[in-house]
Amino acid sequence: MLPIGQRITASLQMIKALLRQPASALGTLIAAFFLFLALFGGQLAPYPNPNDQSHNARVSPTLDIGSLQFGEHPFGTDRLGRDVYSRVILGASSIFRIAGLGTLFSVLIGSALGLLMGYRGGMFDEITGRVIDALMAIPALLLALVMVGIIRNMDFDIGSWQAELSNNVVLLVIAVLYVPVVARVARSATLDIKTREFVEAAEIRGETTAYILFREILPSVIPALVVEASLRFSYAIFLVASLGFLGFGARPPSPDWGLMVNENRGGYYQLTPWALEFPALAIAILVIAVNLMSDGIRRAVQKSA
Amino acid sequence: MKKQTTAPTNSPSRREFLQVFAAGAAAAVGTIALEFAPLAHIARAQADNTLRVAWLTPATLDPRSASGDAEIAVLNAVYDYLIETDAAANLVPRLAASWDLSDDGLTYTLQIRDDATWHDGSAVTVDDVLWTIQWHQDSESTVASLLSSVESVAAGEGNSLVVSLSEPNPDFLYNLTDNKFVILKADSENIGEAFNGSGPFILEEMIPGDRAILSANANYWGGAPAIDRLEFIYFDDQQAGIAAVQGGSADGILRMDNPSFLAFSGDVNFNAVDIPTSGHHLARIRADRAPGNDVRVRQAFKLATDRQAIWERVQLGFGALGKDSPIGPAFGQYFLADAEPPARDTEAAAALLAEAGYSDGLDMTLHVPNSGSWPDLAQALAAQWEPAGIRVEIQLEDENSYWVEDWMQVDLGVTGWGARPTAQLYLDLAYHSEAPWNESHYSDARVDELIELARSSFDEAERTAAYHEIQQILLDTGPVVVPYFFAQFMVLAGHVSGVALHPFAGRTNFNNASLG
Repeated sequence: MLPIGQRITASLQMIKALLRQPASALGTLIAAFFLFLALFGGQLAPYPNPNDQSHNARVSPTLDIGSLQFGEHPFGTDRLGRDVYSRVILGASSIFRIAGLGTLFSVLIGSALGLLMGYRGGMFDEITGRVIDALMAIPALLLALVMVGIIRNMDFDIGSWQAELSNNVVLLVIAVLYVPVVARVARSATLDIKTREFVEAAEIRGETTAYILFREILPSVIPALVVEASLRFSYAIFLVASLGFLGFGARPPSPDWGLMVNENRGGYYQLTPWALEFPALAIAILVIAVNLMSDGIRRAVQKSA
Repeated sequence: MKKQTTAPTNSPSRREFLQVFAAGAAAAVGTIALEFAPLAHIARAQADNTLRVAWLTPATLDPRSASGDAEIAVLNAVYDYLIETDAAANLVPRLAASWDLSDDGLTYTLQIRDDATWHDGSAVTVDDVLWTIQWHQDSESTVASLLSSVESVAAGEGNSLVVSLSEPNPDFLYNLTDNKFVILKADSENIGEAFNGSGPFILEEMIPGDRAILSANANYWGGAPAIDRLEFIYFDDQQAGIAAVQGGSADGILRMDNPSFLAFSGDVNFNAVDIPTSGHHLARIRADRAPGNDVRVRQAFKLATDRQAIWERVQLGFGALGKDSPIGPAFGQYFLADAEPPARDTEAAAALLAEAGYSDGLDMTLHVPNSGSWPDLAQALAAQWEPAGIRVEIQLEDENSYWVEDWMQVDLGVTGWGARPTAQLYLDLAYHSEAPWNESHYSDARVDELIELARSSFDEAERTAAYHEIQQILLDTGPVVVPYFFAQFMVLAGHVSGVALHPFAGRTNFNNASLG
C-alpha cells in the first residue's frame, strides 16, 4: 500500500493526464459547469420556483447569441407560462442528484460485494455470481419500468416512507441496475490482486477479512472502479432522462429534463418548440460531456497503471 | 423423408437476408414516394369524388359496444338514428319524421318515415324499430338501461311508434338520440360485421386497421350524398392522422389536441372549425369528510383559482369559460350566463382555511388521469393554489385502472366529463346525493330537490329557474371547480365544404359534403 503522500501525487497526476487531452478536458469542464448549476441552481435561476406560472405563456426565447443579450426569458416560456431557462437550470440538480447518488450507491454496494466475491470465492462467489448474471440478463430499461411500475402503484400517505421511496424510485432503480455491473468489475480486479504478495503477507499476519478487503485490496482496485463509476454515471444520466421522457421518472411539475421533453412534444412542439429543444439540448450536452470525461479517465488510468 | 434443401431457419442464408433487405428497402422507398405525392392524392380524390377522413382505429362496430368517435362515425354513416341532435343540442328528426306527446306527458308517438329503405331495397318499418329495441333489451345493453322508464313500446297507426313511460320525463327523446341507438333491420344477423343499414352511405369494404370504404346511397331518403365515396382512414395515433391531413393523404380530421388545432387555424389551405361543447374538466374535493366537508375549505379552493388563466393556458382559449358547474353555454338558456365566479384572492382563501382550522394550510394529493391535457390542468391548479396554502402533490394515475374504482374514492381529483346532450344527465349522474357517479360524495337537500324538479317538470320557466339556482349553489358552496368547457375541433382541406361539426365528432354527418 502506498503512503498517503504518494496517493495524492498519483491522483493529481491522473487529473493532469485527464486534462491534457483536449476532448476530455472540455468534457470535464462542461460536466463541472453542470455540477455547478446543480449545486447552485436555486440561486442562479431567475425564478427559483420551477412551477412559477406568473409570466405570459408561450413567449419566444429572448436569448440573442450575437450580442450575448439574455433578455427576460432567454429560453422563452412554456404553455403554462413558466420560464424555460429557470427550469433547465433547476433541472440540473435533480438529474445530478438521482444519477449521481444512484451511481454512488451502486458503486459502494457493488464494490463491497465484488471484493467479497473475488476474495472469498467458492460457493458464495458461485451463487452471487449466478444471481448477478440473472439480473444482468434482463434489459435495463425493462427492469427499470417494472420496478417503477410496482413501486409507483403502492398506496401511500404524504410524508410516509412509502411516499419517500416512491419519490426516489429512479434512484433506487439505478442502484439496483448497476450494482451487478460494478460488482463484476470489482470481482475480476480483486481476483487479480488477491494473489499478490502483500495480500498473502496480511493473511499471514492474521488480519481480519474486512481489513484485507478494504485496506489491502481496495486501494489497488480503485482505479478500475473510478473508470466504471464514471461510465455508470453517464449511463445513469441517460436512463434518468429516458424514464422522465417515458413518464416513469419525475412527476410534474418537476423541471426534470426528460419530462419537459415529453410534455412539449406532440402538438406543443409546433407551438413552443423551444420548451422541448432547450432541455433536450441540455441532456445531449451533459451526456456527451460525461462520456468524454469518462473516456479521459479511462485513458488516464490506463496510462498511470 | 424430404431432403432439406434450405439452410436452418435460425441462421438466415445470404439469399434470405437479401430478400428481407430488398423488401425493407422497397417499403422504405414506397413510403417516401407516398410522402412526396400529396398533390397526386388530392387530384385522385377529386377525380373520383372521394372524401377521406382520418380517424383513430376503431375497436368494434357492434352498436352495443361501439363508443369511440371512429366507431360511431361508421354507424352514423351506414345506419339512421330515430332522432339526432344539432350543434346547439336541439332535437332534429331523422328516421322519426315527427313526434307528439300526450297531455299527461306519458305517451310519445313517433311517426316513422315512409320513404326510408334499407340498402337491400326493402322499406324501413316500425317493426324494424321494435326489433332493434327488443334486441337491445335482450342483450341488456346501455340502450336498454336508457329505456328503463319505458313501460311499453308498440306499433301505432300507419308506421308509427308508441312509447309509454312510467313517469313524465321532459328529456326522454334525448335518450333516443344515444350514440348506440341506430335502427337495425329486423332479424339482422352478424351485427357488427354485416351492415344492411338505411343510412346515407353503404359500407363496401372494411379493411381492419387500414380503412373503411363507403359508397353513396343513391336512394337515401334525405337525397343522395354529393360525394360518390367516403373513406375513413385509420391511424393508431392522433399525430399520424394530423400528419396525413397536412401531407394531403387525407382530406380532414375531427378531434385533435389544442396546439395542433391552433397550428391548423393559421393555415389558409385548411378550414379549421371549433365549437364549444358541454364536455368539461373539473377538480373536485370529497364533501363527505374532512377537509372538504367544511364549506369554507371548498370556498378556499374556489377563491384560489383563476379560471380565466387556466382556460387560456390549458385549452388555449378554445371552448368556453367554466363557472364551477356542469351546465355550460352549450345548453343555451339553462346556462346561468351572469354568474360571477369570485376573483382570485389567495389571502382570503388562506383566511378561510385558517377559520376552518387549517392555519398552516393543507397538504393533499391531487389525483390526475395521465393523458391529454389533464396533467397540464393539474400543474396550473397546483401553481395557483400554492400561495393560498393549498400544497398539492400531483399523482398521475393510469387511466385504465383509475376509472375503474379509485376516482370515486380519492379526496382530491381531476376528472373529465365528456359532452352530453342534456344538462339533466350531468346532474343525475354526479350531483344528486343518490347519483351513481357522485364522485365528490356531495349531498345538498336543496340541490337534490331542484334536480328532481327539473327532471320531471315540463314548465320551461320552472326548469330554467331550477337549473339557474343549482348553478349558483354549486358556484357558491359546491365541491367542484370547473375552469372550462372544452371545444370540439374539425380540420378540412380547403376544397371540402358542407360538413357541420357535431359536438360528438363521430356524429358528424358527411352526406352534405361536397368537394370543390
